[in-house]
Amino acid sequence: MTQRSTQRPSSAANAVGEQAQTQCFIVFVGGEAFGLPVDSVQTIFGIEAVTPVPLGPREIIGLVNLRGKIVTAVSLRRRLNLPEPPATRSTLAVGMDHRGENFALVVDEVGDVIHLDSEMQILLPPHLGERRAKFTKAAYRLETGILSLLDVGAIFDFPRHT
Amino acid sequence: MDDLLNDFLVETSEHIEAAGEQLVLFERDPTDREAIIRIFRLFHTIKGTCGFLGLSRLEHLTHVTESLISKLRDGAPATAETVSLTLAAVDRVKNIVAGLAETGKEPEGDEDDLTFALQAHACTSASPQAPEEAAPPPAAAKPGKVQLDKAQSAPRENPAPAVHAPAQARPETIRVSVGALERIMLLVSELVLTRNQLLELTRHQDDAVIKTPLQRLSSLTTDLQDAVMRARMQSVGRLFASLPRLVRELAVDLKKKLHLVTEGADTELDRQLIELIRDPLTHLLRNCADHGIETPQERIALGKSEEGTIRVTATHEAGYITIDVSDDGRGLDLQKIREKAIVKGLVSANEAKELSDEDVGRFIFAPDFSTARAVTSISGRGVGMDIVRDNIESIGGSISLTTVPGKGTRFTLKIPLTLAITPALIVEACGHRFALPQHSVVEAVGLDEAGAHKLEDLQGSLVLRLREEILPVVALGSILEIDPGSRAASGDLVIVMRVNNRAFGVLVDAVTDVQEIVVKPLGSSLSELEVFSGHTILGDGSVVLILDPTGIAGRMGFERANDYTAGRVVENFTPTDETTRFVLFRAGSGAPKALPLSLIVRIESIPAADIRMSDGLMVVQHQSHLMPLVPLYSTAETRLQATNPVLVLGIGGESMGLLIEQIVDVVEARLTIEIASTSPGVIGTAEIRGEIAEVLDATYFMQIGRPNAYSRGVANQFRVLLVDDKPFFRDMLAPLIIAAGYRVNTAASAAEALAMFEKGAHFDAVVTDTDMPQMSGYELARRLTREPRHRDLPIVALAAHAAPTVLQAARESGMCGAVGKFDRAALVKMLGDILEVRQLNKHDLEKTVIGSAAA
Repeated sequence: MTQRSTQRPSSAANAVGEQAQTQCFIVFVGGEAFGLPVDSVQTIFGIEAVTPVPLGPREIIGLVNLRGKIVTAVSLRRRLNLPEPPATRSTLAVGMDHRGENFALVVDEVGDVIHLDSEMQILLPPHLGERRAKFTKAAYRLETGILSLLDVGAIFDFPRHT
Repeated sequence: MDDLLNDFLVETSEHIEAAGEQLVLFERDPTDREAIIRIFRLFHTIKGTCGFLGLSRLEHLTHVTESLISKLRDGAPATAETVSLTLAAVDRVKNIVAGLAETGKEPEGDEDDLTFALQAHACTSASPQAPEEAAPPPAAAKPGKVQLDKAQSAPRENPAPAVHAPAQARPETIRVSVGALERIMLLVSELVLTRNQLLELTRHQDDAVIKTPLQRLSSLTTDLQDAVMRARMQSVGRLFASLPRLVRELAVDLKKKLHLVTEGADTELDRQLIELIRDPLTHLLRNCADHGIETPQERIALGKSEEGTIRVTATHEAGYITIDVSDDGRGLDLQKIREKAIVKGLVSANEAKELSDEDVGRFIFAPDFSTARAVTSISGRGVGMDIVRDNIESIGGSISLTTVPGKGTRFTLKIPLTLAITPALIVEACGHRFALPQHSVVEAVGLDEAGAHKLEDLQGSLVLRLREEILPVVALGSILEIDPGSRAASGDLVIVMRVNNRAFGVLVDAVTDVQEIVVKPLGSSLSELEVFSGHTILGDGSVVLILDPTGIAGRMGFERANDYTAGRVVENFTPTDETTRFVLFRAGSGAPKALPLSLIVRIESIPAADIRMSDGLMVVQHQSHLMPLVPLYSTAETRLQATNPVLVLGIGGESMGLLIEQIVDVVEARLTIEIASTSPGVIGTAEIRGEIAEVLDATYFMQIGRPNAYSRGVANQFRVLLVDDKPFFRDMLAPLIIAAGYRVNTAASAAEALAMFEKGAHFDAVVTDTDMPQMSGYELARRLTREPRHRDLPIVALAAHAAPTVLQAARESGMCGAVGKFDRAALVKMLGDILEVRQLNKHDLEKTVIGSAAA
């Protein structure tokens, strides 16, 4: 799943983990798996019509009507600077709230909910790209590989240029 | 009643009620420390507020009661006497509060009986080792004592006056948290959206089974929306409450004597807006105090009263409230503003001469425009009038000013009642749809390669020649960077908007709809996009962004530009030419109707509730004028909808509306009348885009709606001065003359009329009462006609009867005719005869033009 190798897996014990166990929802983008904190996920839905936002940030695909609520759709792929997918574009989105604003995180696929133990946490490798590091809250060592837990706040925070 | 006092009454009633309840609980369970602490706090709060409001009687009573309760709190035993005494105090507070609610003042009388008892008891309670014994001796002779001594289960009977003053004397209110109200508002907004979706779905169905309940749902939703909106309203008194203090501080800082008058404090406004206009209002007040009002010495030298008056008044008009801020100071120095405007390059020296005082006054709203010599701490700190105007315009309001040198300045703010819901045009550009709030849209102009309206390329920038003006135009597609190709700007329709008193055009492909939209602010991720002010969900469920005209102007760089379009866009009547864009709409049975788009100034949706019947004609209050509505379908057969689309036509500077049922489309087509019509109001039947449509004759409806304006065609409105010393006749005749299509000013005496002429006012005709105190109408006419420039001024005498003697006297004093005061028809006819003749006298007109050019 991921090609990255861990540098100091043994230091997991002193990693910062307030909760012993975190529930995590797995999503896939560009063949990579990412974790989202389960309590931030509200709904999974398919996007039908998107209203693009001219002049808006590139990562914002547009606005979506989700049962009468206006939701800002953010492409996780673009946010992580991953190459654009071939022809077909994903319409699968994870509904989330951030600071009172409704967001939809557009991903390729959704996976299961898994438990993460703080013992499984590892330090982020120091040579992780700056952009990636900004959006990653923590990394966990799983049996299948290494999983990055995304920082929802950072993903939905768009800086003001003023 | 004062808002503060009102709040106090509401709060205190709650607190005192709660204190009574807690007290009873405490008596039952004296170990309940929490209860006594709560009671103590309640009394403490009331005492504090009373002191603040200067309610000395209540303050004293609550203070004494509080001391007793504090003893209980500190561990003194709660005897029955203590509790009933406290309850008696509770009841007394209630009585006083009831009196306050009724009269706004504390009722006469005192609580000596009760306070003595309370104080005495407080002393005895303080020494628990000698309890129960010291009954309150000073109270013995008082009637209140009977009950004080007994711990009855009904201790609430109180012999004090106004015992039974019921709390219901005050309108019943409950306090609701703002959050709860906002939530209801949100839900109603959602309901409106859902209703719109339902309407959209059933638009093309004629199933009465669905239509009827849907219509009902629709009107109920509108009512509900209205009711919730009303619940959110707060009186502007809240805003006014802080002004006296501000004015007081200003007076001290500026060493001026200032007097503040506020009127209309009970006018209501959406609470969101109240906060938004607080700053602009404060700034205007500072401006009045600093720049407007002279120093006391100057005022005395000018023969004014030493004290300057600042007047803030709020009034309510349909859909708007108007807040006037005026002072009786020196007025704007228009000459200085003119000079400054020339220096700043806002206007050329020649143009400056041509500008009316009103236009000159408007310059103070230009950025960085301050004529203040010294930067003071009060105003002139760079927070200029431009910011005030921007703030007001950003909420869909407008600001204007009038000023009279030496007499003062008046700023008028027009504020919409609410921000949440607004009518908007749905425009399309490059396959995207956007909502454009109607408040800044002036008109929509259809482009036509061959015809009158054509875009021209001025060194790469688009301009539109519209009537006498050149408007800068941008394509919406290119400003939003959604234009797919390198192709030159596309679009068929220019939406003319006015922002900060500048007009500009936005090129779009089409206007697809007019809807009431529920404005929702953008989330923080998108809020920095200046071109959008929010987003909304349309009837078909799609999300659209709401364009912000101010933001577009800013992005186009118009903020920095000079006033590209001096003066304002004059609403002109352009006669039908070979226009090929039509608005297709439904009204009544039969084929859809069509009208050339060029005739339509704008499209509005007007709530049924705003439409009134007057003299057999439908009218609606529109921008402080009454606009006649002509329904194009039988309103007897088809009921009005909750909101009705109205096509607004402009004729000779006035507007009228055509009430229709539904806009179908805006289409471009070659007009070929296939079958000429014989019925009035219809030119004929034509095929437009493969559909049969009735092409209507707009002139026919103009004759119904605005007969006088129509007959004048494109001519300017004539100005008539009505002079009469009796308000009754001024009030009766002025509307009559206005209805005949003239602009009217009134004067209450001949002297006032002369003063108006002296100040340079121009009138096309004068109508004057003959019999007035001080100076008669004949004398007025003699004086006016004596001056060469008024020699040709037509003056009409108003007399009780147009007797031959009156007519003769009128002629002798230089008047051109006389009519009876009650003969309205004759008055209108005479004005018409005089003024129409003048209009036809082209030679005269030419002279005037040459004259004004030479000036």
